[in-house]
Amino acid sequence: MNGTGEYQAPKDLERYKSIALGIGGIAALVWFVGFYMSPEQALRSWLLGYVFWAGITIGSIGIIMLQYLTGGAWGVVIRRIVEAASRTLPLVIVLFIPLAFIQYYHYWTTWPATDYAIAHRGWFMTQESWILRSAIYFALLYVIVHLLNKWGAAQDASKDHDEAAKWLGTATAFSGPTMVFYVLIVTFAVVDWVMMLDAHWFSTIWGLLFVAGWALSCFSFCVVVLMYMSDKAPMNAILGKRHFHDLGKLMLALTMVWAYFNFSQFLIIWSGNIPEETGWYLTRMKGGWMAVGTLLVLFHFAFPFLILLQQDFKRQYKRLAYLAVFILLMRIVDMFYLIAPNPRIDKTIEKGAFIVSWMDFVAPIAIGGLWLWYFIGQYMKRPVVPVMDPFLENAVKHGKGH
Amino acid sequence: MDVKLYGLMAEFDTPTELVDAANKVREAGYTKTDAFSPFPLHEMDEALGIKRSILPVLVFFGGIAGMCLGIGLQVFVHYIDYPLNVGGRPFLSWPSFVPPTFELTILLAGFTAVFGMLFLNGLPSPYHPVFNVPRFALASREKFFLLIEAADPNYDQDETREFLRSLNAQEVFDVEE
Repeated sequence: MNGTGEYQAPKDLERYKSIALGIGGIAALVWFVGFYMSPEQALRSWLLGYVFWAGITIGSIGIIMLQYLTGGAWGVVIRRIVEAASRTLPLVIVLFIPLAFIQYYHYWTTWPATDYAIAHRGWFMTQESWILRSAIYFALLYVIVHLLNKWGAAQDASKDHDEAAKWLGTATAFSGPTMVFYVLIVTFAVVDWVMMLDAHWFSTIWGLLFVAGWALSCFSFCVVVLMYMSDKAPMNAILGKRHFHDLGKLMLALTMVWAYFNFSQFLIIWSGNIPEETGWYLTRMKGGWMAVGTLLVLFHFAFPFLILLQQDFKRQYKRLAYLAVFILLMRIVDMFYLIAPNPRIDKTIEKGAFIVSWMDFVAPIAIGGLWLWYFIGQYMKRPVVPVMDPFLENAVKHGKGH
Repeated sequence: MDVKLYGLMAEFDTPTELVDAANKVREAGYTKTDAFSPFPLHEMDEALGIKRSILPVLVFFGGIAGMCLGIGLQVFVHYIDYPLNVGGRPFLSWPSFVPPTFELTILLAGFTAVFGMLFLNGLPSPYHPVFNVPRFALASREKFFLLIEAADPNYDQDETREFLRSLNAQEVFDVEE
């Protein structure tokens, strides 16, 4: 706790910290029971919760770099939130450990070496190289998180605005090229973690689906945190309706980008109409999966899109935050749509059967509770805004304007 | 000399003075007013009581019209007028209809935005009386102007001139028709 002073996050948060840990801990124990009953289902559900919550962590790394690169008041007011979210990476790495046991839930691990995908991809399709790759992703992300947070802290410790501006320049110069590597890391990571569940299928836009989706999760999460902070000192003196307006615009843009990427993938596979690609969608266009897909089109895209088009809506903190929570729920449904219909190792279950397990609810709650506990701890460690940032004053003024 | 006046225009040195004056003008009950400044003043809409533009609504319906046009065009061409078997797909293949529909939605929404803006602003306008005041050219450089039109119901040549002078205006000009 280094000199957070009057910009310290409100103490009430301590209470939520213990609540989150309690709920997360209990849900994690329940999940362990489920793991003994059915390791495959338990790990698939864990992956669902993991991809959602780790998505906020990894998405926030992208947002930190994005806001350094673009500048703007919205970036200044959310910088400490996304930095705290990025510092949950150690927890996210620990929570990844169960997922390393891919022989329990990745179908391809049971395939013979003569299978064309295994034969063709060689060492890439082994459990060892899969784990090694994930370790590399986390190592690279850890370096990025460490450096960005180090410079953020150095900025707070600066004596004057000139020194603070120097750190700002360092972070900005780092963010440009690193953004490229970030997108590549995310692409490789989600191909390993999610796309490989159906290893005969592939999509080249897969990484971008997650880059955009995770950024949307992250912005929605920031709006919820800001709404909570907006009537408490010190944030009540900093936030204005234009900050929410700007974040609302970014949510609108990413909602559209998400729909655009998803539809591009669908349209190309539909037009191409070749068996090795269409199977993925054929499974998802039957029965319950079709209902989930329709739900996503209507409530992950159409509904938030039409609501966010309205200028006045984006300026009302509460309403925007409710919509943000709704979008976050839809993000879980989206992850469910990507993960759950994939083929299973357990052959007693019919291929492509519509299954919603109780563990699909327990695992996201378990990971969410632990994640929020860790996040609040990190958030309270530093001032809620970059106090020495030369652009802070302007950012505050921007929020109060029309 | 008996020249018909379009209105009266006051000149100010700073944006703050202009906004303060505009507030007083609105409070005095004038409605046919306008303000000119070298850069956008967000407070101005409120100060002069300018209503929110109807343009966003028009753009929304322009987009809806484009969407209907896009769907209608493709359904007519591919299903009614000239059904053609493309790769064995159904005549009504909605996934392939989406990109053109999207483009037409954007196109008509964009047209509505641009031409609607021009129309609602009364543009193009080759002649406007305010340019009869020579110093008005400074409105695009460093001075701020406030106009009250003669068509305003509260307008009275002498009273309004006195009123504008009382607002700390640098100078009050007659704007000839």
